[in-house]
Amino acid sequence: MNIHTYEKFWLIGAMVLIVAFIATVTYGAAGLGIAMVDDEGGTIAPDEIGDHDKFGDPGVHQVGENEYDVYVHAYTFGYSPDTIEIPENSEVTFYVTSSDVTHSFTVVGTNVNTMVIPGEIAEITAQFDEPEEYGILCNEYCGFGHHDMEAELHVVPETEFDLTELAVDAPDEVDTDDQAQVTASVTNGMLEDLDTTVTLEIGNETVEEDVTVAGDSSEDVTFAVDASTLGDGDHDWTVTVDDYTESDQLTVGTDDDGDSDDGDTTEEE
Amino acid sequence: MSSATEQTEADTSHEIGHDEYDPIGTLTLIGLYFVVLVLMWFYTYFIEFLGNDPTVIGSVVTAGGIV
Amino acid sequence: MSTYVDNFPEEAAIVRKAFYTSFVFLALGGVFGLIQTLHRTDFLRFMDSADYYTVLTAHGVFLVIAFTIFFLVGVFTWAVTTSLDRGLEDLRLTKLWFGLMSAGGLAAAITILSGFVGDAPILGALDADVLFTFYTPLEAHPLFYIGLVVFVIGTWVAGADWIRTWWSWRKDNPNERIPLPTFMVITTMIMWYIATLGVAIAIIVFILPWSLGLVESVNPLLTRTLFWYFGHPVVYFWLMPAYMMWYLLLPKLAGGRLFSDPLARVVFVLFLLLSTPVGIHHQYLDPGISEGFKFIAMTNTMFLLLPSFLTAFTVVASMEHGARQNGGTGYLSWLGALPWRDPAFTGMALAGLMFAAGGFSGMVNAGMNINYLVHNSLWVPGHFHLTVGTAVALTFMAGAYWFLPQLTGNKLWSRPLAVGQTVIWFIGMSFMSNAMHRAGLIGMPRRTAEPQYENFGFDAGVGSVAELDAQIALGGALLTVSLLLFFVVIAMTAFNGDSDYTESNSIPTPLSGPEDAPQVLDNLKLWTILAIVLVIIAYSLPLASIIDGRGLFGPGIEPFDPIPFSVVSTTLELTAEHVTGVIR
Repeated sequence: MNIHTYEKFWLIGAMVLIVAFIATVTYGAAGLGIAMVDDEGGTIAPDEIGDHDKFGDPGVHQVGENEYDVYVHAYTFGYSPDTIEIPENSEVTFYVTSSDVTHSFTVVGTNVNTMVIPGEIAEITAQFDEPEEYGILCNEYCGFGHHDMEAELHVVPETEFDLTELAVDAPDEVDTDDQAQVTASVTNGMLEDLDTTVTLEIGNETVEEDVTVAGDSSEDVTFAVDASTLGDGDHDWTVTVDDYTESDQLTVGTDDDGDSDDGDTTEEE
Repeated sequence: MSSATEQTEADTSHEIGHDEYDPIGTLTLIGLYFVVLVLMWFYTYFIEFLGNDPTVIGSVVTAGGIV
Repeated sequence: MSTYVDNFPEEAAIVRKAFYTSFVFLALGGVFGLIQTLHRTDFLRFMDSADYYTVLTAHGVFLVIAFTIFFLVGVFTWAVTTSLDRGLEDLRLTKLWFGLMSAGGLAAAITILSGFVGDAPILGALDADVLFTFYTPLEAHPLFYIGLVVFVIGTWVAGADWIRTWWSWRKDNPNERIPLPTFMVITTMIMWYIATLGVAIAIIVFILPWSLGLVESVNPLLTRTLFWYFGHPVVYFWLMPAYMMWYLLLPKLAGGRLFSDPLARVVFVLFLLLSTPVGIHHQYLDPGISEGFKFIAMTNTMFLLLPSFLTAFTVVASMEHGARQNGGTGYLSWLGALPWRDPAFTGMALAGLMFAAGGFSGMVNAGMNINYLVHNSLWVPGHFHLTVGTAVALTFMAGAYWFLPQLTGNKLWSRPLAVGQTVIWFIGMSFMSNAMHRAGLIGMPRRTAEPQYENFGFDAGVGSVAELDAQIALGGALLTVSLLLFFVVIAMTAFNGDSDYTESNSIPTPLSGPEDAPQVLDNLKLWTILAIVLVIIAYSLPLASIIDGRGLFGPGIEPFDPIPFSVVSTTLELTAEHVTGVIR
């Protein structure tokens, strides 16, 4: 077959280009460590997501000194959690799945971009060094609310980052001569111990207690509040640990209309 | 189909056969295209793509990481 | 020496019907495209954003399925009959396949358009707001899937019609090489049979039964993979007819001869072999498919660049031959000796030029890890508006300027307007596609009604998002103007009854003819078997792995109605309100 010399040059040139393209991509993979999302993430049926150990309560977990796992549940039309906070200088692995249709999990302005297919778990790891706020969007059409589907990723300075949670258990009412127990449960999701102070403000009083919560565990701090020092009436209270607060109201005094300790609702004298 | 060479349009053209034809213009254009492709590829891969980090670097196997 | 309609009046009638049907879909698809550019850039929103996805489904299906394929079946009918110099074997078969394509296309079109009528009786339930890719678990009405299947079966029968005609010619001409145009049609159709197998299985075995409620669940990754098995080769089903026109018509229009028949055969054989085992490059970011399979898809895809690279040389060399025969000289100044006043030539030349740019963004798309940068961003539509949107669509429009006179015996009405039409298309697409590529690089997504988000924006680097949006809207407007011009010229030509067109329906002999092509190139059985083997290698393990992990029918994945009619007022109502509001 007759191939003109010039076309032979071009044939060689074309092959050089093809090989160069493959080589560049291979360099990115083998040389720079860029990896494709693949089948390592495993599978999960959509109706198992709610009961799942991690996807059932999606969020950030620390799994190593600067390593974090983030479980994300994508759905029509949003992400849970809708704000993901991670510290600077961390290696983050996202596990993303969908309970309904195919979405994407795409961090805008980065190469963190994956399909999220119901039945599959997409597992991708990336290194986040600088503090930054990123948007997350869905770029795979998923229905009428597709364009409203967004979330945020905040990379915060290390000093601002914690995995602390606060839950408070307190009664709504207490009798005048009784004591109210206000229990603050402080959970520390980091691997390192958390040394902090729990503060209760109620009425005019402020009570503090220092507490050390070990890594990946929880401590309860209970404040005993004398109702008599507060007096009858409604009292707002606030429990604070670091930047987390819980507030509510405590009502002191017997209830005139309801049952009292005396058991007798009518006043005869 | 049966052979058909020159058509009805007014032609001041002359025939160039297979052996006399030297497509140097094509070589020029395709050489230019080659250069453009190389430059555009380098720009797109090394500046646009690699400059758009963070990039996905692989799944880390940790104790709690595999479902 | 006479026109096509003189030689083959009955086939010409079918080809005309095919072209006019194709143009109706082009018109509708084009209007929807304009609406999209205005809506997503927030220049003009007169409908609910949920309806955008109905518009987008229509735009995609009408243009890349209906417009392209109705046009190419016309071109292929012309090519086979012209090159074999005989009519189709049995015109009843021809009318059957055309009828099937029309019925299927109409059914699918009705379901898509009914997305606009909300909860109107009967029609309201038919919707198909699933986009051209119809990924599960998004669900359309069963009639949508049935329409697509019937349409594809129509194309299968068309292939049989042409192959039968070729076989009967072969009996009468036992030792001759397959004429190049017929060779191109047959290789394209074999590629198409192999390619449509995947989507046919996806629909017939899984999606249609599921949408009818016969099966409760599907495996979304499986149906997606079967779609993309088809979704890549379909682009070659569009490109190969365009290439055919560049190889056969462009040299003639330029006043020259095809540089090499053998290389043209090599190119088409390469497309037959490599078009299908590459589909996973559309799934680089899918979980559930290993990196090894993705790498194999990439290597196959990169080699698929070769036939296009070869085409670039051969086609340009053929044009240069015409230019030099017309007195052109020098390294580049010969370009001036080309017939730029001939709209068929100019359109195809500009389409080819634009394809060179589209080819580059295609090379980027073929890259595995660089896909993180561009996947599902506006870069992707930027790419395919250069390729199917110009290399194919503009070539088809330009080709129509040559075909229509051949099919009607009427001269082309207004060559200057037709040339203007092609140039405006090129300019409009340059604006729109360039802006789409740039917007994609900064993270703007595709396939969305409102790329404006509450909690973040896009960082444009150079320029601004507003400037990019303006170029997209401007480009869309120019493309619409170009389309209007096209339809004016076509309509006036069709009715230009008293003009006398006598150019003959013939192609000059190539500089290097079929006698220089090794016999093995015509061994279509060999190439077909090899193509099937390559597909089995590329797909058996990935499919097995997908089915193994998640089951043939998936883990309880139910249908999802993307746009329940309760969500939106009907577009017609809203539009009426807006319009009467304006008039009042």
